[in-house]
Amino acid sequence: MKKISIYIMAIGLLFGCTDDLKNATDFTSVENPNLSESSIVGQPNSSLIWLAGLEREMALTLNEILILSELGSDNYVNTQTFFSQFLDNLEIRIDDPDMRDTQFRIARIRVAAQFGLNQVGPGDSEYTSATEAEYNFFEGMSYLYAGMYFSALPQEELGVPVSSADNLASAIASFETAIALNPQPEYWLALARANYYLGNQTEAVTAAQNAIALDNDFLRSAQYDQLNGPVNLFENALYQRGTFDDLQPLPTLDFLDPKYSFLTPDRDQSVHYLKAEEAYLILAESNLANSNLLAAQNNLQDLLSLIDTREVRNIDDSIEQRPDPSSVFDDRPSSPSVVVNGRAGLVLDRQSGNIDVPTVSGTSLTSADVTAMTLGDAALELLYRTRQEVFIAEGLRFADMGVKLVIHENEILQNPNVSEGDLGTVAVIPSFIDAVKNDLDAINFVPGSNTATTVINLTEILVANKNSDQVLPFH
Amino acid sequence: MLCFLFAGIAFAQEKTISGTVTDSKGIPLPGVNIIVKNTNTGTQTDFDGLYTIKANRGAVLQFSYLGFENQEVVVADSNTIDIQLNASESVLEEVVITGQGSGIAKRKLSTTVDVLTADEVDKLPSNQIDQLLQSTTPSAQIRLSSGQPGTASIVRTRGPISASTSATPVVIVDGIRVDNLNSNPQLGIGTGGANVSALADIPVESIEKIEYIKGGAATTLYGADAANGVIQIITKKGTKGKPTITFESRVGIINATEDFLKYERTAEALFEPGLSLEYKLGLNGGNEKVTYNFSGSIYSDDSFNQLNEQVRRNLSFGLGAQVTDKLKYQGSFSYVGFEYNLDYNANTSFSRFSAFEGGGRGNLDELSDAQWQSELDRSNRIGETVDITSTVNRFTNSNKFTYEFSDSFDANLTVGIDSRDVVQQNYQTNAFQIAIGAINPGTTDQANLSRTLRKAFTLTSDLNFTYNASLENFDFVTIVGGQFFRTTDRQYFVNGSGGVDGTTDMGFYPTVTSDDFVLENANYGLYFLENIGIYDVAFLEFGGRLDQNTSAGKNSDPLLLPKVGITYNISDHDFYYDSGIREVVSSIKLRANYGEATNFAQPFSQDRTFNLNPYLGLPSFIFNNPGNDDLRSEIVKSTEFGVELGFFNNRLNFSGTRYQAITEDALFTPGAPPSSGQFNQVQNIGEIENKGWEFAFNADIIRTQDHNLSINASYNTNDNIVNSTGGAPAFNVGGFTVIGSWVEEGQSLGYLRGTAATPNGDGTYTFTPNTALGDTFAPNFGSFGLNYSYKNFNLFMTGDYQFGGKIVDLSFLLRHLRGVDNTGIPDDLVGTTNPFNYVNYFVFDNDFVKIRNIGASYSFGDKLAIFSDVTVGFTVTNPFNWTAGDFDPETTGSGIGAQNGFASGGFAYGTESAPRIYMTSLKFKF
Repeated sequence: MKKISIYIMAIGLLFGCTDDLKNATDFTSVENPNLSESSIVGQPNSSLIWLAGLEREMALTLNEILILSELGSDNYVNTQTFFSQFLDNLEIRIDDPDMRDTQFRIARIRVAAQFGLNQVGPGDSEYTSATEAEYNFFEGMSYLYAGMYFSALPQEELGVPVSSADNLASAIASFETAIALNPQPEYWLALARANYYLGNQTEAVTAAQNAIALDNDFLRSAQYDQLNGPVNLFENALYQRGTFDDLQPLPTLDFLDPKYSFLTPDRDQSVHYLKAEEAYLILAESNLANSNLLAAQNNLQDLLSLIDTREVRNIDDSIEQRPDPSSVFDDRPSSPSVVVNGRAGLVLDRQSGNIDVPTVSGTSLTSADVTAMTLGDAALELLYRTRQEVFIAEGLRFADMGVKLVIHENEILQNPNVSEGDLGTVAVIPSFIDAVKNDLDAINFVPGSNTATTVINLTEILVANKNSDQVLPFH
Repeated sequence: MLCFLFAGIAFAQEKTISGTVTDSKGIPLPGVNIIVKNTNTGTQTDFDGLYTIKANRGAVLQFSYLGFENQEVVVADSNTIDIQLNASESVLEEVVITGQGSGIAKRKLSTTVDVLTADEVDKLPSNQIDQLLQSTTPSAQIRLSSGQPGTASIVRTRGPISASTSATPVVIVDGIRVDNLNSNPQLGIGTGGANVSALADIPVESIEKIEYIKGGAATTLYGADAANGVIQIITKKGTKGKPTITFESRVGIINATEDFLKYERTAEALFEPGLSLEYKLGLNGGNEKVTYNFSGSIYSDDSFNQLNEQVRRNLSFGLGAQVTDKLKYQGSFSYVGFEYNLDYNANTSFSRFSAFEGGGRGNLDELSDAQWQSELDRSNRIGETVDITSTVNRFTNSNKFTYEFSDSFDANLTVGIDSRDVVQQNYQTNAFQIAIGAINPGTTDQANLSRTLRKAFTLTSDLNFTYNASLENFDFVTIVGGQFFRTTDRQYFVNGSGGVDGTTDMGFYPTVTSDDFVLENANYGLYFLENIGIYDVAFLEFGGRLDQNTSAGKNSDPLLLPKVGITYNISDHDFYYDSGIREVVSSIKLRANYGEATNFAQPFSQDRTFNLNPYLGLPSFIFNNPGNDDLRSEIVKSTEFGVELGFFNNRLNFSGTRYQAITEDALFTPGAPPSSGQFNQVQNIGEIENKGWEFAFNADIIRTQDHNLSINASYNTNDNIVNSTGGAPAFNVGGFTVIGSWVEEGQSLGYLRGTAATPNGDGTYTFTPNTALGDTFAPNFGSFGLNYSYKNFNLFMTGDYQFGGKIVDLSFLLRHLRGVDNTGIPDDLVGTTNPFNYVNYFVFDNDFVKIRNIGASYSFGDKLAIFSDVTVGFTVTNPFNWTAGDFDPETTGSGIGAQNGFASGGFAYGTESAPRIYMTSLKFKF
């Protein structure tokens, strides 16, 4: 016992006298590898790093939006995928997690842009007006997407849902602030688009002209990082094989697929969410609405010239088949000999060597088509077909259809300002779209034959309903 | 000479002896075995304890009775031999260590503990802790999630108590916490399903016994994350006596369980019987001062399919030393090496099994022979190139020092570590990617190599003082102690891409990315326990723990977790001994207790954090965790009442327990409002209630000298409900978007929810979104078994069952989506709408009865040459199944993907069932 006491005393003395042992005996300290706010706010150069975060968020947001909007349109059909279980048949419901995720991503761009404007930027000694303009631009993009895809969405956490028109108006205000700080063509185009969907023809035209005046072939792109993510999810759906995912394009759009394909181990293909082509198409549509055929033809010829300069990739797409061999769905046209809706040359042979696919913009519109144009619905159909082709896999066809998504039930249940049945919680589908929603992707094709037809021609339907408030905003 | 002759005759003279056998209080004992030693003559006492037997003068009569000490008496002149047997100390004073700070006699405890003894463990063919406990513990639900190696079970006892952790109990080896991560690690290699588990390599060599306590008051002293219960493995430290050496070899044949396959062709493509081999060497011995036990084993098998293989190497060493009169040391050390490979499973189209069974390759029954041959060729090409491996090295060390200040006062110090390293690797060669159709044939520069290293380190220390005192009719056991443990989980992930085939040297890959992940937590607490014995029949215990950990938010205070219990052994009263009831109801024990235990949140989940993501070669900031300064552990408050009854001298035993456990401040992670643009934050907002009954029964049906037959059975109920979500909307905790496991007020935790279609009778259907489609946790379950022995022959069987829960057959859902299986779905519904609008047709009862083990062994004793014993054995594992559906409701491997995530087990999908194993063993002792 005595010996033990001596030992205990000795150990006690050792601990007490040696500061170095403090670390060895403090068992409650843990290493926390996470970043706190103080590592960001108030740090030099943090505003640029925050801006890179916004660019990355934009890429993630488009990953959400593109899957929904492209499946919801007539562009693509889901043959084997767990990407969106409902949108193919325009089943838009408040319990669909894709509604939640899309709304979340749009909101995240907004809060991140606002945090940049209010906290990160002002705290950074290296903050520039160009960065501030970008923050405003991204805030505007959040409102723009809210307005394009939702009939109403709150602009703050648990806030009152703001109508599509008011969200577009907020987008306009943000873009104008951005332009005032550092005018860029894509800011002008974003402004043009917001005005376009609002039906503000004059403002849309002015902004579109300002955009191409600054740069007549600009591209604003969401970039994807194959190495560290995010990867382009839509590329997975279109091109990558050996997964569950397989989206097949409408046969009339076969020659434009896959817009996104494997690039390098470092980079995945970009989504060009604002590009000069849109300005020409807005101008052409405005001119057609004003019965100014010649001007519209000039706009479209300019468009074709621009498209001619855009990148076309020559890729081996032999692993992609119609349909994918791992699925058990019906055969789809896969030979150039197949004439679709009476038009030849729309389907590529992917099994005999490489194919050429436009990665920015492609179209079946020809200069001769433009020259032959006459005023009337046929010209509008041509224009809307071209919009569909140029913007395939970029999410605009869905917005052009006038369809609007709904606020997710997670918001409805927590937000005192919104209840089920309110504006924003009920899907908006124009009646003429609703009538054909099960046939959006349907085709008539006998395997082995040389003709195929789409069951409906959605472009024709849109133009036939041009006087509706929900589509063709300049009419 | 004559004298001698007479003496000899007299000595050998047979006579009839009779008498009564009673216990120490004079109560007759029926069924006591009496044999004339070294002969085959034997008898038993009748109901009044009377016996008659013939024996020679000078012969030795041996009296034996379960629960009592054996007695031997030499036959002398008297023809009457009355015997009083003393109750065996080991039964009376069976000590429970787990959850008590120090050992306390089981009869003094108000809580229940399931014990698996060394003999029971030795009989079982498995070398995984979850499989050892499955069907051998009366009130645990242990569900094998996959037949792939390295995977483990979902383990539950009293229902799902938490939405934010897995239900896996804390696992302790000789007082030391060990890594029990029962899910894929955060940065683990994803195989689609069949998630690997640390339970698969917990050291199970040289087990003295396993104690399993089920949460509630029994786990209060562990505080921290012990609300799911504690499994403690106590290893052998050697026994005094001459050294014994044992050598055992086991050879097994492993067959796939094909009962649940949709297509026989799946088996043709993937399955092939395998062989398992195991060799074990043991050494045990010691003297008064030092005892030792060593065991080493190697095991390998090539599984039930073409791809899987596994190798295990175990070393364990236990030591007991009486250092001085006062100081005693017990140490143990174990090493487990475990290497295995995995196939892709479940939720990836790389998986051949789920593709075949999920209709991804069409209706296999309808393929022509030529088409099938082409599928087989493809499958073989893929199978040959799948290369997912896992290597585990685990070291566990425990050191326990006991210092006896006096007979009534001692101190116990336990210090030890568990260190577990896992390297997982997934090598996707160009050839593999071409075989599955992911890249174009001829590609040579897209090989991909992923590697994860996870290092889990746990340090445990516990110091307590135990004081025993007596005051006339009162006994006191006082335990005061402190405990701390810290866990560090470091994960490193590296991925190389753009490589050529043939190398797993990461440096050879043109593009390399990496990631890491750290979780660190320190938990510390002081505990106190007082057990007061009143007239040695009733025991009052109370105590508590003051608990704090570094995963709490900065505004949260240490938690005080109290416990209180009372035990009343009515049958120990003298008056009870004197009453006649005892002849029928031989023992009655009543118990009640209340206790609190906790689960803490994942470390760092309390902090507001930001991410710095590498993006296009540059840094990028964004919000990460929103943070919660008020975050604290969820507290599970348990109340239980129980009764233990023994009938006919404890030949029939019955135990019944009513429990109620309320999880307050339950850690829920509800969906943030999407308008916030922020991630979901774990919060203490929920309340979960579990209540139910636990009944266990065992009976010695036959107890004779040569024949012994005992059976056991249990039946448990669990009623689980989420009382509150704190106003948060329902949130998804597993499964898929269209049919998931949800947490919602008024429903069972993790219940199945989706859109249901109900026929209107006129060919139309009503579609109801968010319909409750059933509870994933079977509310009724139990186990059963029998054990029969005839002389040296032993036969045993174990099994378990469950009913009342629901499960989604996801393979069927996929087959239906792919248009190859409409079984049971009304014709007028198919094709009219999206199948996700009638998910109720894919939900089935998860009822099953499964026989887990049947085994037989024969011991030759010392009849063979130099050996002191030779035992041969044969076991068959998973021989028989009866299920409500056509699929295996246990194969839910795809449900435990997130690190330590909630596992509802509500989705059967795309992974193989546990195989059927026929194993022979031969054990030599010398």
